[in-house]
Amino acid sequence: MMLSTPAAGLLLILAWIYPSHALYFHIGETEKKCFIEEIPDETMVIGKYRTQLWDKQTSSFLPSTPGLGMHVEIKDPDTKIILSRQYGSDGRFTFTSHTPGEHQICLHSNSTKMALFAGGKLRVHLDIQVGEHTNNYPEIAAKDKLTELQLRVRQLLDQVEQIQKEQNYQRYREERFRMTSESTNQRVLWWSIAQTLILIVTGIWQMKHLKSFFEAKKLV
Amino acid sequence: MALLRRKEGSGGRLLALAAIFGWCFGSVRCFGQSQDSELTFLLPAGRLECFFQTAVKNGTMEVEYQVIAGAGMDVDFTILSPEGIRLIVESRRSDGVHVVEPTVEGDYQICFDNSFSRFSEKMVFFEIIIEGQGGDVGGDEEWAGLEEPDGSLLEYKLEDIRESMDSLHRRLERSRQMQTVLRAFEARDRNLLEDNLWRVSFWSCASMLVMLCVALTQVYTVRKLFDDKRRVYT
Repeated sequence: MMLSTPAAGLLLILAWIYPSHALYFHIGETEKKCFIEEIPDETMVIGKYRTQLWDKQTSSFLPSTPGLGMHVEIKDPDTKIILSRQYGSDGRFTFTSHTPGEHQICLHSNSTKMALFAGGKLRVHLDIQVGEHTNNYPEIAAKDKLTELQLRVRQLLDQVEQIQKEQNYQRYREERFRMTSESTNQRVLWWSIAQTLILIVTGIWQMKHLKSFFEAKKLV
Repeated sequence: MALLRRKEGSGGRLLALAAIFGWCFGSVRCFGQSQDSELTFLLPAGRLECFFQTAVKNGTMEVEYQVIAGAGMDVDFTILSPEGIRLIVESRRSDGVHVVEPTVEGDYQICFDNSFSRFSEKMVFFEIIIEGQGGDVGGDEEWAGLEEPDGSLLEYKLEDIRESMDSLHRRLERSRQMQTVLRAFEARDRNLLEDNLWRVSFWSCASMLVMLCVALTQVYTVRKLFDDKRRVYT
């Protein structure tokens, strides 16, 4: 067991250097990048990011940048802010949705030293996991003492549950969509009728008014 | 880290395991694993946004994108290979699916361009599915080191079960990805419909106001023709 500590240390180091081969993009200094996640309710979302700064001397991206932070702001579908925090150059944020809908995740850098950004480019590796992808299966196996097969079955169950949740959410959205559609149709119908009536009424009023005007002027 | 501490085995085996695990964790080349990233992001007017995805040699990369909100509902799409060659160039499309195969080692650049639009901000959904050379293998490498179920006599049957579960897992992932695509379509239609509703209301009001203005102007003009300054005698 004495050797398990360096092994764990080695694993930790390697895990830190290679979080995953996720997508990356470049962000400017005052730029704010926003991502939308449309999720059903009671769904957990975990976002992991890693930043790298362009180093002019070596003409490459440095592996880590101390002193450079990112500000993460998450809004729920009612545009209420549910998370607004400053993280370091590598960070992990997590939230659970309580209302279904479009959640907005915005990132912008909050560098304290302006000189760091003189090169202009910050590379951000971002990985957002939703729903059952957030489950940490080795941890679940340890907690519930599951064998490998049992764990796989658990994973399959979680997947199916997530798909079911999404389908329910889809049903709710489709209902809203149908309501909006019917509302639009009704509006078109009523406005058309109203416009026709107003047109007729205006025409009649015009005729009457001009007739009385001409009669007053003794032309008719 | 808990799974390492839990294992009652020799320290040497543990270290080797940790080394392999750590190396595989860092390198996609270890097992042909499928990773998908999907993002929905806001593309401001007149801007170009690029995303980079690392690919392995001889794999496949499938990119699907859709514009789900915005006035014109279209965007310019480009994929550049790690050598800088423009593999796919599309202009003003609202959705598309592309498969790049075989992939070279390196970072592919996937760009969305909204420079042609001066005022409208677009919401773009895209999904990247990357597969290694072996195709999708499964979740083995994540849980290496878990307690294996006992039953050397039933080894063959266990393999069967494991394979079916693997296949099920992959298909469920694929279902989930399809669901995501359908969700994006629905979101796009919903945004379009809500825009329509607003437009119908606005233009109906405007049309009615115009009608009333025209009526009043007509009456006023005709009355002005018969002003007292120019008397018309019968």
